[in-house]
Amino acid sequence: MPQPVENLDKLDEHLKAVVQALHSAVKQGIPHVREPQIVDKAVADCKEILDEIMAGKVKEWLN
Amino acid sequence: MFTDKIELKDFDKMDPEYKELLGHVLTIQADCEIGGPHLYVEKMLPAAPTKLDQLIVARTAAEEIDHFRKVARVAGDIGVDVSFVLSQPNEKRFVDTFRGLITTWEDNAVFGFLIDRVGRYQLEEFYDCSYLPLQRILPDIVTEELGHIEYGYNKTVELIESGDEGKAKAQKAIDYWYVRALDMFGRTGSKRSDRYRYWGLKRRSNEQARQDYMNEVNPILKKIGLKVPDPNVGRHYI
Repeated sequence: MPQPVENLDKLDEHLKAVVQALHSAVKQGIPHVREPQIVDKAVADCKEILDEIMAGKVKEWLN
Repeated sequence: MFTDKIELKDFDKMDPEYKELLGHVLTIQADCEIGGPHLYVEKMLPAAPTKLDQLIVARTAAEEIDHFRKVARVAGDIGVDVSFVLSQPNEKRFVDTFRGLITTWEDNAVFGFLIDRVGRYQLEEFYDCSYLPLQRILPDIVTEELGHIEYGYNKTVELIESGDEGKAKAQKAIDYWYVRALDMFGRTGSKRSDRYRYWGLKRRSNEQARQDYMNEVNPILKKIGLKVPDPNVGRHYI
């Protein structure tokens, strides 16, 4: 068997959690698109999560 | 032609060329998956025209991140670390199309309509491929890509139906992305493409996949009242 990449499981778990959190925020917002308080919070939550992924500080995620 | 089906446990026994090609194609695929969100999240998440569109931008990004995760797992299991693409700047992306930033809603719509469709074509190349762990991740990824394509198409049609200004914006975006989409299939007569097919990692030549794409997209463009751009103008990989 080939030697898997170090931290592969950690990265996989981190990204899985990120994806779940994003889907959860989207699901909270979609039924309430006409209720600014709820939908704005959902969009803000998505932005916060995505900003972290876009920053790409992989070493920080794994520590 | 190589016709065997390979599992992870068989990978070490494979020819070095097979290992190199599989690692290379997985790295590019991972880069393209995460390259999309890096193009549109920054400007489109805050600027999408409605709250629902904002949430769909976020959901699309979530799905692409998950596609990256799945490809990174297949690559990581054979010892190929693709995590560096998570932090590389857009200008260093493997595929030209992902080097930049989407700043207008019409570009975002057409990106889904045309470029996610190329993504679907690239993934379809791996259908029935020789590396089974790659084959297994495809159905869910392709299903989600179909959703991105449909959303992009619907938003493009909305623009066209909004009036002359919207139609002009849509056409301008099509003119920009269409040639980039064609370039994404790579050079005609590529030797590397031949080797991918020899090892059962891809099904079609670059030119065949590109032609199939044009045969699919051109009638759609005409149906929605847009002009098909000249496929030979502005191209980098003919």
